[in-house]
This record gives sequence, structure tokens and C-alpha cells, in this order.
Amino acid sequence: MLTIAAQKGQAFCDGMTRRGFLKIGTLGLGGASLPQILRAESKTQLKPLDHKAVIMIFLAGGPPHQDMWDLKTEAPSEVRGEFNPIKTNVPGVEICELFPQMATMMDKFSIIRSMVGAGGGHDAVQCLTGRKPQGPQPPGGWPSIGSVLSKLSGQTRPGVPSFLGLSPKCKHDQWGDPGQSGFLGPSHAAFSPFRGGGKKDMVLKDISIERLADRKALLNSFDNFRREVDHSGAMEGLDTFTEQAFGVLTSSRLARALDLSAEDPKVIERYGKGTEKLTADGPWKRLDQFLMARRLVEAGARCVTLGFSRWDWHGGNFKRAREDFPLLDQGITALVEDLHNRGLDKDVSVIVWGEFGRTPKINKDAGRDHWPKVSTALLAGGGMNHGQVIGSTTRDGGEANSRPVEFPEVFSTLYHCLGIDARRTTVNDLSGRPRFLVESEHAPISELVG
Amino acid sequence: MKPILIPLCSLLVILTVEKGVSEESLTDQAPVATGSSPQQSPEAVALQWSSEDAITMTGPHDLHQLVLTSHEGDGKKDVTAIAEFSVEPSGIVTVSPSGLIRVIGNGSATIIAEYAGSLLSRAIKVNQADKQLPISFPNEIVPIFTRHGCNGGGCHGKAEGQNGFKLSLLGYEPQDDHGYLVREGLGRRIFRASPTHSLLLLKASGELPHQGGSRLTRSSDDYKTIVRWIRQGLPYGSAGDSLVTRISVEPRERLTRAKAVQQLRVVAHFSDGSSKDVTRIAQYEANDEEMAIVSDKGLVTMQERTGSTSVMIRFQEHVGVFRATIPLGAPVDNLPSSDNLVDQHIFTKLRTLGLPPSSLSDDSTFLRRATIDIAGRLPTLDETDKFLADTDPEKRTLKIDQLLASTDYADYFAGKWAAILRNKRTSAHHARGSFAFHSWIRNSLHHNVPYNSFVRQFVAASGEVGNNPPVIWYRTVKDSKEQLQDVAQIFLGQRLQCAQCHHHPYEKWSQDDYYGFEAFFSKVGRKPGAQPGEEVIFNKIGVASAKNPRSGRALPPKPLGGTELRLAQHHDPRDSLADWMTNEDNPFFARMLVNRYWKHFFGRGIVDPEDDMRVTNPPTHPELLDALAQGFVESGYDLKGLVRTICNSTTYQLSSNPNAFNLDDRQNYSRFYPRRLPAEILLDGINTVTNAKEKFSGQPQGIRAVQLPDDQFTKESYFLSVFGRPDMNSACECERADDVNLAQALHLVNSTNIRNKLASDNARAALLVKNTEFSDEARISELYRRAFSRAPGPDELNVGIRYLNRKRTPADPSTLSEEAKKKQPSPEALAREPYEDLIWALLNTKEFLFNH
Repeated sequence: MLTIAAQKGQAFCDGMTRRGFLKIGTLGLGGASLPQILRAESKTQLKPLDHKAVIMIFLAGGPPHQDMWDLKTEAPSEVRGEFNPIKTNVPGVEICELFPQMATMMDKFSIIRSMVGAGGGHDAVQCLTGRKPQGPQPPGGWPSIGSVLSKLSGQTRPGVPSFLGLSPKCKHDQWGDPGQSGFLGPSHAAFSPFRGGGKKDMVLKDISIERLADRKALLNSFDNFRREVDHSGAMEGLDTFTEQAFGVLTSSRLARALDLSAEDPKVIERYGKGTEKLTADGPWKRLDQFLMARRLVEAGARCVTLGFSRWDWHGGNFKRAREDFPLLDQGITALVEDLHNRGLDKDVSVIVWGEFGRTPKINKDAGRDHWPKVSTALLAGGGMNHGQVIGSTTRDGGEANSRPVEFPEVFSTLYHCLGIDARRTTVNDLSGRPRFLVESEHAPISELVG
Repeated sequence: MKPILIPLCSLLVILTVEKGVSEESLTDQAPVATGSSPQQSPEAVALQWSSEDAITMTGPHDLHQLVLTSHEGDGKKDVTAIAEFSVEPSGIVTVSPSGLIRVIGNGSATIIAEYAGSLLSRAIKVNQADKQLPISFPNEIVPIFTRHGCNGGGCHGKAEGQNGFKLSLLGYEPQDDHGYLVREGLGRRIFRASPTHSLLLLKASGELPHQGGSRLTRSSDDYKTIVRWIRQGLPYGSAGDSLVTRISVEPRERLTRAKAVQQLRVVAHFSDGSSKDVTRIAQYEANDEEMAIVSDKGLVTMQERTGSTSVMIRFQEHVGVFRATIPLGAPVDNLPSSDNLVDQHIFTKLRTLGLPPSSLSDDSTFLRRATIDIAGRLPTLDETDKFLADTDPEKRTLKIDQLLASTDYADYFAGKWAAILRNKRTSAHHARGSFAFHSWIRNSLHHNVPYNSFVRQFVAASGEVGNNPPVIWYRTVKDSKEQLQDVAQIFLGQRLQCAQCHHHPYEKWSQDDYYGFEAFFSKVGRKPGAQPGEEVIFNKIGVASAKNPRSGRALPPKPLGGTELRLAQHHDPRDSLADWMTNEDNPFFARMLVNRYWKHFFGRGIVDPEDDMRVTNPPTHPELLDALAQGFVESGYDLKGLVRTICNSTTYQLSSNPNAFNLDDRQNYSRFYPRRLPAEILLDGINTVTNAKEKFSGQPQGIRAVQLPDDQFTKESYFLSVFGRPDMNSACECERADDVNLAQALHLVNSTNIRNKLASDNARAALLVKNTEFSDEARISELYRRAFSRAPGPDELNVGIRYLNRKRTPADPSTLSEEAKKKQPSPEALAREPYEDLIWALLNTKEFLFNH
């Protein structure tokens, strides 16, 4: 460690000179060399998670609930669809034949077949916040679950943001929404490594790593302002984040979590790759992002959201289904299996859903249209009671005829798994008014967490 | 308590002080005259009760809290909990060690307090101790639910109640509460035959599973009161019962010390003139638990921070406040004399607190700070050099004047006002309106239009954008509820939002106050304007009124704390609102503005949050706030004059470097509190240092971020959004995020945006290098003067030069691999890149990123 020669004679009352206590560390975090850090961290790879987390997979566009996990075999032919159900390892529960892997581990999933109350717009707001985007909003808008977690619980460890959104920028902008911070402000926004500025800034470019190290050393020797001068903590925060930024750019938890090359190739293969090509105006079909989500959660993230494919099939519903169902099957089962193998299933909740369902009647283009009346959600992990189906729909899959579940109830449940009593916990909006995370009539789904 | 075996006569030591509640102010330190007694020792302290009236207690359950103060040389001390109390004769009342008096039987007695060798007595009379007095439900039962949190917004007090049981929020509707308890659910909550088996009590005590836990223990007074009420047959009280008109707190404020305690006494005053001690049924909430905490018995315990804090007391819909000031007690001997209003008040308090201020800032710091705060930019190289070389002793005052006269001041403050006046452009054809509005604000500021005129023009605006730009506000703030809330928050510092649905939990505003204020905006008419996306705003003919949905009453316009107005049908009630707001006696208007500007310059309002000026959130320096407000009114609402008063003060010009005592000071202004530069100033600052320019659509090249008129420009600049430029969705300046986060750090450290600013052919690094006449020292000095408005110290020069020399030396080719040889930079790059690195480093220092 170097000590910069102090300028004599300008001591403060405690005897320290302004520069006297300044030392330059080596590049890296806190003075340990990079190999030392990596060695230390690799030892802790399979440690149990010290925090709770949630992974949300958004099926943008409104997936056809009656073709996936709520097959309506009794319905007339113009409603029923082309697929047959298969038995799963939970007696009495059947799902689409194109989800064979899920069928072998249905005991690790729960299906809600009676999601009601969808707003009906092509956006992810309800799936991310539990609130309808229609109607009066608090100034600034409702915060998404990731931002709430960031606000209430902060970061688990330096260098890893609490809330990450892995969706790309989509042509239909709302489908790439990682989750807005609303009235909680930009400090609780999602960190989006694959879209916008966040993505571009995360990768070291235009300069070499040596030059970055030079700059860092230079900054350390110039940056003499005593951060204790600022009791708000902002100066200290700046130092911390600048340090983290260097970490992200060189080698750190966040960068490594996103870098799959460190993962066991067998695991990578199990998840599959999917494709980086955007699906029309919707998200891509990157199965590797499911793996990234697991790695991010292990690295310390509390909430990871990602969009998978585009499900708004007004035409060619079954053709598209044959493409996307097997991919989703592979990805989601790989994730849930992986979580169980690593002992993370109690701490990490997984939810897969879209903004609404699709019409019972198949249209002239062999497609289905928007159907906000009812849709399906899939849950796993979180220490919930799985291997069950909650609610049911009518013969044609058009309405919930038992146990209707509203979006906020799912949020109440997710928060419960995260250790937060959503009906009692508040965050303040821009006018200082405390807002409940979920209104009191939406209890956690007792079948799942009771 | 030891029985005192001294004849009665010599115990009657009566203090000769005025009757009634004694109200101390912080400057009142003089001890009070004492009566003499042969028993008192020479060093005896002077004791004083918090009020001098003889105590009358009625009924067997009446309580009275004593508060005993000892005057000891250097101040007042609460000795209630450490004095010894005794009563003569026995059998009338008992006094607990904490000073709470309970009734035993009828009669008269004398209470004697003994502390540190002094004695003090008080007469007390008890009557009706043998009678069961009828309980008043609103006065005695409902407060129990409030103080134990039963009827708060988290549980039974919220709109839907909790688990099927609802109470009115904070007990604001006792009639409803009586119904819920007694009649709802076929009366299942009360079991009159065996009161302790009532569901209400079984749940409250936790004997039956209760999500709220055990709130009342069976032995507590509150539990017993409810039992008595049930036994009495669940009375409400009679129609003729007098109502509580206000509460008083003893003492109201106290100059105390760290770790001291202060017992409070709370008295409810009734419309029939009577009063009752409600200390044990009021609710207490400390405003800042790092400074003081309070128990549910009204005992305040100071912590160890220096400064002023307060405790809010609530009883029914009335709120009161106790203020404590905790001094540090260090020697304060370096205060310069000053005839500046701000200094006089700040220094007085620093003396009282014994908190010495830091020294005055140096010229560089002052120049940079004032230019940022007044003109929203960094000083130019030229300005820096001129100012530092200037020997005029008045140069700081002249600089302030110069900055105020520039259009930069108008630009910066126009952006500040435009944000809270929600200058949003939600579609393309809104541009004419949003630009015109911004321009109107900017012109008003530049020409120093008196603030009262500015607000009047704004609040009562009619017409359309072309002839009256402020009407555009009505396009964004569409409904009368939003309008009243914004106006109340921005110009009066009253956050009325909560009072829409119920009595305001922290203030005295009722729903009638809310809707009476809404009535001012009840006649705003809209017609489509000539341009798409624009409207003509006009005053509709008719009766101005707003309906209170709870009472169903249509309320005429009523100013806050004022009387209802009867207005003619053609009259625009907004004119009356403007009249009331800009009246020099308006208690909110001037105070709000000076507080807002105070926060702008000092980073913290005298009341903070700056637009939440409620009774229960008192100012740290009330006399200063009043004086500034009064001065502002007397100056004719001169905004530039206010800026001058603030910026010319020594207080504003103090260094941010702490001394041995004031590192933890957060509210006494003993030093400058650094804060991060706002997004626009930061972006502009980076551009001036690197000689870059921004491009914004539809705007001239080289426009500075601080000059951007509306919210949409944030979308064009990732920098502005990640550094928190507000989206103008709210009337609160708090929407601007001034914190730090990872995305910002990454952007500064690694973005293409910043890289381009550093490395382009016209960038500062390139320019410096091109100018071959300059030495390295001169170049580094220029960079420091641009970024920090100061010259670099010798160490800093050394570091810089060593770096430059190291980087400019091409590597010895014989040591390089073939591949590395290919990567070697060109001689041009070799000259420029080290400077890019230097500039990069300077831009990432805290000294650059903060206003300090």
C-alpha cells in the first residue's frame, strides 16, 4: 500500500492532515488482490441463501391459458384447441402435452387457474406491481415489487443491486418493462444490464483495463475530500458506489453472476440457450437468462424480472405454441430443478404469468384474442405448498368458477414468502402519505402459505 | 416516602409566582423568587410546579400528573421523578414516585415535594370520591383506542377496518365508534353480564388470539376504565356535555440537556371552562427518536444529539407539541458580530447551545457555492481568476448581486418552479404551452416581479396560453382536488391530502377545511382553445361550493383557519383565494416561501420537509423563520432581496469542514452541509470542464441542461434521468432524487457519453495539448480552476505531473510483445490521453460532484 506524502502543516484538530490518512489500495475491492477475492468467494458458492428472493418471468402479450396449464377437454371443438392433456406426477392434475418436463415435477409447482381482475392493457404493470394501470394513480406511479424490496430491505451486499431487470428494450416498450420504481424514485429503480444506459455502462469499453486501473489510482490520489464532512452519507455512498462500479467493470459478483462461462457446462445445457433475437415487438427467448436469474439471486439480488417471448397470438396460436411451449418447459423446469438441487427452493419464489388470458373461441386465423376475464399463473419455490391447483374455470375456460384470485393476492403471497406482511407494511408516496403494499382485503393465498 | 414529622405550619412554603400555567421561553433563564423557610439550607435550589393552581380532583378515578422543576444556577431541571412526595393528611390522595396523584377519599390535603434540601407544597382538594361518575365515551374511552394504536391507519382505523372490526381513524368520529362497539354485530363485542369476558377486552388483552397482540393488561388503568364503562351500561355521554376545545402541554418547551428527562402534563380544556388532566390517556409521538424518545406516560428522555426536537401529543382531534433544545455546552467565542438578520438568530442559538461554528469558507469555496446556488452553474475560468485576484473587501456582496442580475439566476430558479408547478409536456402539441409557461416564470424571476403578484397571476389565471401562460397549469393539474392540494402544499406549506377522507392525523385540519378550500377551485371552467391540446380557462358563473361527502354539506370557499366567504355569482373565487394568500397577515404564505428558499441554500428547511409546516412539525428556529417572513413581506415580497439576505450572511458562507464539536450538527447551521449537485448543474459542469455541448431536440445547440423548459427532455438524456431530474409529477421538490447510486457511478466511470466528452477532438484535453505554450503545471492549474475554482496545491501538481510523465513515456519497444507493439498509441494519443485521464479523475472526485 502506498501512502501519498502529506502536505505538512495543515492538520485538523485531531492531528490528521487532509491527505495524511489517504492510502492507495491495489485495484480491486478493499485492498485484497483479485485472485484472493475469487478464491474466497468460490468457497462460498453453495452456501445457503441468507436472504429471500423472487424471480418473475413475464410472458409478454397474454399467454393462452387454456392451451398451457388449464386444458378444457370438455369444451366444444371451436374452443378446445389442438393439444391433449398429459398426466403429471400429481394425481388429478393434467397439463398440456407440450410440457412433459413440468409434468414429471408438477409436485414442485402450483397453478392458479382462476386469475381475475386483469386491467386488459398490453403492459406488465399489473404483473409487476399488483395494481391496475388504469384509473387514478398516486403521483409518480405505483412501485414494482423489486423497487419495494430495494426500499425496504436495501442491498444484501455491496456490488449487487437488489433489483435487476433482464428484459431487453422491446419495440413494444411496455413488454420490456423491468418494473418501475414509481414514487419510490430512481434510487430504487431496476438495474437493467440489457437495455438502455445501464447495459452500455456495464461493459468496459474504449479503454483498457490497465488504463482503468490508472484512472482509479489517480482518482484515489485526487479525491481528498473528507467524506465525514457530509453527515447525510451521500459522500460515503458515492465512494462505495464508485468502488462498486470499478468492481462491476473489472471482476465482481455482479459481473460474474451475469457471466455464464463460469457455470458448469452441464447446467448451461440443461437450461438451454434459446435465442437472442427479439420476437417481433416483444422480448427474446433467452433461456440462459433463467440461469442468470438464479446466479443473480445467489449473488445477492432480491428480485429479478425477465420477459420471455411474445405470447400475443392472434393468429397461428398452435403453431407458435409448438415453438414456445417446449422452450418454456425446458427453461422453467431447469430453473426450479436447479433451485431445489441447490437448496434454494425455500428462499426463492418463482412466478410465471402474463397480463391476461386468451379467448375461448378460436378465431379465423387459428389464433386467440385478448381475454382479461381469466388467466393462469404458475408458482414455484418460496417454501409454499406445491403440487396443487388453485381455482378453476368454466367448461370453456372463459370465467373463473371457483376461488377467483386477484393479482394483489398473489403479491400478498409473494411478499409473505419474502418475509414481509404486505397488508401491514407501508411505503411513503411523494406527498408523504403511507401506502400499503397491498390493500387489507388481499390476504396471502392460504392454500399456498397456510 | 418518609413520613415528615414536622409541624404543619413550617411546611407551608409557598412560592410567590403568578398563578396559571407558567410558559417558559428558551431565553428565560432567571430563577424565580422563593418563599423562605427555616428548614431550607443555604445552597437550596428553587423549586416550581408547572402550574400554580390549587388542584381539584373529582371522582375516584381522576388522575393528576405533577411536574416539578428545579431552578439550579445554570438552568431548569425536571425533578419530578427524583423528588420525594408526601401528603398531609393521609387518606385523601397518594402520589406515586413519578408524580402521579391518585384519589383515595374526599377532603383537603397538602402535597409536599422535597428535593435537594428544598421543599415546595401544593394544596389539593378531592370531592365526589365516593361517587361513580358517568363516563364520557368520547373523552375517556375513545382516547384509549388512540393511544394504544387500535384505531391507527395500520389496523382497525383504516377504511376497511381489520378482520371485520372497524373504528374511526384515530377516533375522529366517536359517534360511529360507539355504534361499532355497542350495536354492530348484534352487540357481540360487549358482554354486559361479565365485562371482562367481553370480546373487546379479551382481544385487547391478548387473552383471545389477537393479531394486534396484547395491547391492554388487565391491571392497567385503561383496561379498568373500559370495564367500568361496560358496567355503567355503555353510556355515550349526554348531548349537553361540553366538548374539548383545545389541549395544553406543560411545559411547552424546555432548554434541557443530553440524557435528561422531562415529565409532561397534558390538560384538556372544555367549552364550559373546565379542564381535566389527560396525561395518562393522551398519545405521544417523538418527531425524531435520535434526539428524544417518549413513553406512553408522557416522560420524555433526551438522547445525545445537539439541537431542537419535539414530541407530538394527540388527544381526540387536538394536537399539541413539546419542544426540547439540547445544548452541547462547548465554549463559543469565535462568533463574528453581524447585523445580518440570519446571523443574529443563528448565532444566538449557537450560543444557547454552546455549539461553536466552523470558520468562514475561503474565496474559492464561496465563489463556487454561491454561483451554483444562485446561478445554477459552475464559475467560469475567467470568473474564478478575477474573483480570487480581487482585493475589494465587498467582493462577495458584489458577486452575489452580479449573479442575481444575470439571466442564469432566472434560468435556474425557473427550472425549480417549473418542476413543482408540473410543467409537463405529455404530447407534442403541448410544447407551445410548456415552453410559454417556463418562459413566463423565467421572465418574472429575471425582472424580480414581487412574489405576491407572481402567485396572484398564477392562482387566478384565466384565458389561454397565448395571452396568459400560467393557465397551462390547469392542463396538467386537472381536478379541483389536485389543484387545492398543490396550491396548499406549494404556497402555504400545508399538506392537506390526508384531510380528504378524514380529519388530518397530524394537524388541526378537518374535512370541512379540506372541502372549504376545494370550493375555491369549484368554478374553473374549460373550453377547447384555438390550438390543439390547449384549453381556455375561465371562471364559471354560479355559486362556488364543494361537497363534504361525509356530512353531505355543500361548503362555500373558506380559507384555512378563516371564515366562510359569501361570494357573488360572477366573482372568481380564485381571486379571493389570492387575496387571502397574499395578505400580509397570512400566517403561511411568506413563511412557506422563505422556508423554501432557506432549504435551497442550506439543504434543510427551518421546517423540514419544507412544505410540511404543521403544528406538530415545529421549526428549529421559530424566531428566525418569523423574522425572515416578516422581512420578506416588508420588502414587498422581493425574492432577490431574500436571496441577498441569505447569501450575505456569515452563516451561509461558513466552511463545511467540521471542528471538534459540530460534525454531528444537522440542524443548527454551524457549518455548511454539503450536498450532491443537481443533475442539470452536474451535466452542465461536466460540459464546461470538458468543453462539450449537449444536443436537445428542438433546442439551440449549446443549451444548458439548467435551461430546459419541461419534463420531456429528461427522456433524451440518460445522464439527467439517472442523476434524478424530476419527472414533474408532484408538487414536492422531494421528487428530485439527490442521492447516489450504482448506475450513476457506472455512468461516470465508464459511459460512452462521458468518454466522448473527454476524448473528442474539440474536448478540453485536446485543446490543452494543442496549446503548446502552456506548461503542464499551467494546464493542470487550469483544470483545477475550472473544476473547483481553486488552484491546485503543490502535492496535487506533483501527482498530476508524475502521472503525465509516466504515461507520456512510450514503453521501451524491446520490452513489448508483437501484439503489444501494435496496440501502442500514436504520439498524438500519447499526448492527449493522460490529460483525458486527469480530467476524468477530477470529474469523479467528491469535490467536483458535491456542492460543499
